Amino acid sequence: MREINDSSLITEVSNGVTLVDFWATWCGPCKMLSPVLDELSKEISDIKFGKVNVDENPQSAEQYRIASIPTILLFKNGEVVDKIVGFRPKAEIEQFIKKHV
Amino acid sequence: MGNRYDIAIIGSGPAGLSAALNASIRNKNFIVFGNKDLSTKVTRAPKVNNYLGLYGVDGKELKERFKTHIDSMGIEIVEERINAVYAMGDYYALMVNEKIYEASSIILATGIEYTKPIKGEAEFLGRGVGYCATCDAPLYKDKIVTVIGYNKEAEEEANFVSELTEKLYYLPMYQGEYDLKDDIEILKGRPLEIIGSDFVEKLILTTGEVVTHGVFVLKDSISPGQLVPGIEMEEGHIKVDRLMRTNLPGCFAAGDCVGKPYQYIKSAGEGNIASLSAASYLDKLSSKK
Repeated sequence: MREINDSSLITEVSNGVTLVDFWATWCGPCKMLSPVLDELSKEISDIKFGKVNVDENPQSAEQYRIASIPTILLFKNGEVVDKIVGFRPKAEIEQFIKKHV
Repeated sequence: MGNRYDIAIIGSGPAGLSAALNASIRNKNFIVFGNKDLSTKVTRAPKVNNYLGLYGVDGKELKERFKTHIDSMGIEIVEERINAVYAMGDYYALMVNEKIYEASSIILATGIEYTKPIKGEAEFLGRGVGYCATCDAPLYKDKIVTVIGYNKEAEEEANFVSELTEKLYYLPMYQGEYDLKDDIEILKGRPLEIIGSDFVEKLILTTGEVVTHGVFVLKDSISPGQLVPGIEMEEGHIKVDRLMRTNLPGCFAAGDCVGKPYQYIKSAGEGNIASLSAASYLDKLSSKK
C-alpha cells in the first residue's frame, strides 16, 4: 500500500475511488488490519489504496476529523463518500468497497 | 512461529465446557479461556432442579461435577482475558494485551454479563467515543478527555492519556484508592448520557455535566460486538443459525450470549452443537489445502 502524507493526500485522492487507511504504529487493531488491506489491494484493481500515519501527519487526521484509529475513508473524486471505524473482517471491507465501484 | 489451535473456546461456563468436551472427544487441538471458578453464575445458584440427570444439586455442587468431568478428561482452563478477536481470513487472532493466540476456528461462550452501554455511546463511537485509549490518545492532543473506568487497569491508561491531553477527567465506576496523576480530576457520580452534534461535546452525569471532546469507556466485560469486530448481533445477542454458526466463517457461538432462555442445559447443548460444527468446518478447511 502507498504511503500518503499531509502534502500528497489531496492529489492522491482527487481522481477516482481511493481507500485511505489512517493508522499508527502503537495501535494494535491497526496492525491487524493492515495485512487484510494489503491482501485486498492485491485482489482489487478497480480502486487505489493508500495509508496515512496519523502520528506523522496530524494535519490530515485533523482535517478529516479522525477521532479513532484505525479509520478507513473512501474517497470518490476528492470527496469522502463512506467510512469504517475500527477493525473489520476482510469480507466486510470487500462489500464496503463493492458498494462504491 | 506460534502454535495455531484448531479451536479456541472463549468462556468456561456450561456452553464453553461442553464445547471443550466434544472438541476433546473429536481429538482437536483446542484451548479454553476462562477462570478456575468456571462460572460465577453457576456457583451462585441456590438450587438447580432442571439439569437432567443431576436432581437437587446446588450451584456449588454442579460446578464441582463440571470440574471433575473436565479434570478427568485432562482439560485445562487458561486464565487469561481476551481483549479482542480479529477475523484474519482463514484464521482468528486472539489478543491478550500484547500476546496473540491464533486459532482456525473459535467458539464464543462468553455468557451475558456485560454492562449496558451509556446513552449516546454507540451513536458517538468513532466520533469522540472510543474503547482503546492508548490507540486514540494522540488524536486528542490539547483536548479535553474523560475516561470512564470500570477497573483498576483503566487508571494506568488514564495516566498515559493525561500526558497528551489538555485536561483529563477520570470517572471511576468502582470504589477504592485511585492511583492517578495529580493533574487528573476525579469525577463523582454515574454517567447518564454522552451528547453532542457531529462529535462528542458533553458528558452528562448524575452529579452535573462536563465539557469533553472525547470519552473512553474502559469496561471489565465487553459486548461480543466489541470483542469480535464485524460479528452480527441481533437484539443484544450474537446471531446464530441452528448449527450455532455466526456470520463469520469459522466463528461459532453458544450459551447465554446467543439468546434466551438463560439455562445451563440449553447452554451445554449449544456448546455441543458449536463444537461439532467447528469440527466439520475444520475438516472442510483441511480438505481445501
